[in-house]
Amino acid sequence: MADCAPTPNASDKMASLLKEAENLKIKLEEERAKLNDINLWTVAERLEPIAFVNIKPRKVLKGHQAKVLCTDWSPDKRHIISSSQDGRLIIWDAFTTNKEHFITMPTTWIMACAYSPSGNFVACGGLDNKVTVYPITSDDEMAAKKRTVGTHTSYMSCCIYPNSDQQILTGSGDSTCALWDVESGQLLQSFHGHSGDVMAIDLAPNETGNTFVSGSCDRMAFIWDMRSGHVVQSFEGHQSDVNTVKFHPSGDAIATGSDDSSCRLFDMRADREVAVFAKESIIFGINSVDFSVSGRLLFAGYNDYTVNLWDTLKSERICLLYGHENKVSCVQVSPDGTALSTGSWDYTIRVWA
Amino acid sequence: MDVMSSSLQQQRIVVDQLRREASIARQPVTESCAQMIKYITEHEQEDYLLTGFSSQKVNPFREKSSCTVL
Repeated sequence: MADCAPTPNASDKMASLLKEAENLKIKLEEERAKLNDINLWTVAERLEPIAFVNIKPRKVLKGHQAKVLCTDWSPDKRHIISSSQDGRLIIWDAFTTNKEHFITMPTTWIMACAYSPSGNFVACGGLDNKVTVYPITSDDEMAAKKRTVGTHTSYMSCCIYPNSDQQILTGSGDSTCALWDVESGQLLQSFHGHSGDVMAIDLAPNETGNTFVSGSCDRMAFIWDMRSGHVVQSFEGHQSDVNTVKFHPSGDAIATGSDDSSCRLFDMRADREVAVFAKESIIFGINSVDFSVSGRLLFAGYNDYTVNLWDTLKSERICLLYGHENKVSCVQVSPDGTALSTGSWDYTIRVWA
Repeated sequence: MDVMSSSLQQQRIVVDQLRREASIARQPVTESCAQMIKYITEHEQEDYLLTGFSSQKVNPFREKSSCTVL
């Protein structure tokens, strides 16, 4: 490209680009501030408080021999897959607590696992930098029929099937996200923009599956257009790593959780932060968040072994779920909203309902 | 590419990104709040973790037997 060649005025160009970037940032701040006409919790004051939440521990799933790092509910609303530092995946029947399948991987620290939309495949990976797909069949065949779909240049922290069993979206410690074709292993799109490890991704619930959000150790959350590979919106505010991101069920907001011991709610149409979920007494980081099906409750798993329930609208903590004996690494509401699963460094998964 | 032109390239990407973000349409927070409250209110009845089950019998995760250890 001619205009990339070093020229005497390259430094002028650089100066003008830096100047423009500076002005655009100021303009963005002004525009966002202009529309900040009220607080969510002020509007929510007139609403009835959440009186009583009757969520009890129902099941404890024991079987992993090391930290549970990730879990995912099956689309059948009954099975859970979990991945662990012990290098194993386990498929559980959450109703009976039976272990139905074991998969041993040639790696430890399986940081991510995800069911395909059909429920017939699982994708997983971690410190091996790869995303691998297993069909769910009898145990012997599962290992034999595995397929390596994609490889990052650092650990794979998160994976998700965006539309069908044919594609997988991954996030990585190499600061990128990537969309892979399962059949061919082809890289369909890569997503560059973060300047730190990508820790979490989530899909927009209500669209055609072309928007996703990512959270990163660069303290940012980005909204991406999957087709163009561009960042559509970016949200800042956290003072430390963003470990988890989740779309509100309405599709119009995202929740984030961070090592700075706060969760935040960013509204996409207002293009700004609209709530902070934090307390003086909470000094531990958050590893995972999820919403109840209406989006009124925000569940957050903390490093202090607790799960906190927040009222999304009033920004108040409603209660804590005690039970885990180590960091809570993952929380997820079941697809029909009847239960919450929590995974922990105490080697167990618990189901609350 | 030498260092200068590659950092120019990088800076162009940053500026393009900011231009895109600056050009998006925004709505006041009041409207966002109203929409979020509306969505939640409309879906509260389907939210078992929030409102509970009409009867514990329909909770698929309840203990099956009444003789559970407390």
